[in-house]
Amino acid sequence: MTDLDPVIHAAARLRITATLAALDSDERIAFPRLQELLSMTAGNLSTHLQKLEDAGYVVIDKTFQGRTPATYLALTPRGRLAYDEYTTTLRALIGGA
Amino acid sequence: MSPRTDPTTDDSAALGPAEMLALAANADRGLRRASEAQVPVHYFVWGGAWLVGYTLLWSAWEGTTSPIVVPMWLAAPVFAALLVGAAAVSAIVGARSTRGIRGGSSVVGIVYGLSWPILGFPAAALGGALTRMTGDPDVGALYYPSVFALIVAALYLAGFMMWRSVDQLVIAIVLAATAGITPWFGAPLNLLAVALIAGIALIAGGVVAVVRNRRRG
Repeated sequence: MTDLDPVIHAAARLRITATLAALDSDERIAFPRLQELLSMTAGNLSTHLQKLEDAGYVVIDKTFQGRTPATYLALTPRGRLAYDEYTTTLRALIGGA
Repeated sequence: MSPRTDPTTDDSAALGPAEMLALAANADRGLRRASEAQVPVHYFVWGGAWLVGYTLLWSAWEGTTSPIVVPMWLAAPVFAALLVGAAAVSAIVGARSTRGIRGGSSVVGIVYGLSWPILGFPAAALGGALTRMTGDPDVGALYYPSVFALIVAALYLAGFMMWRSVDQLVIAIVLAATAGITPWFGAPLNLLAVALIAGIALIAGGVVAVVRNRRRG
């Protein structure tokens, strides 16, 4: 029996992961753009991103654009694989229901 | 099977697999939706600019058969303003759709965006040289609409190859045919032909894109 990945299996983190999975593997998205796409507060988004980073699913790249700090995010290969497995499991659950 | 959920969060325990999958699909579409939303804007802006602009030029050109003759001192600046305005809107909308994204397709998008001036300025310069050497403004009237229709056709073909956008392929074929056929009408009738064929094809593309975006939600 396959369990759903508890790191992804939270609505907010699933939305974050799905959005990041829509990027190409060599793309990164700025924190404010992701926040805007998901309509989440900065604090809430940061909390969930931290969990995803702790699991090795997301890479958080803190950099500077000129003198302004900027944070860019992307799924790691492990995160992309976990997301694919998660959605595959969901489909299997639906198919077997 | 009972999915494990994160006890520190949130709302997922209440959602079944189908709802979670729908949530994922909707989030996955968020970025694509933002990108697709710009497509009809380009079509409408350029279709409108070509339809109105070339019709005005035709109705101002010497020897026009237009029932309403517009003075060239009015038609030429309005035409130029329409093209500059369309280019500005396209640049702003295109840049907004990829804002906050680095690498990958954003680089492709930037190069694609720059392709328009990279091809457009030399084409304009060539037209200027041809008109100057022949001393015949009708050469410009035949050359400019066709060469720009060809450039748009080429870049829409590239757009189809990159994004598999069938409407871009269809419009590219229509514009390429327009570029080749309309000079045979002679000046200034070719201006009206370009306005009607290319302008309406672009606006139709915009309508198709709007309908498609609405269906995808």
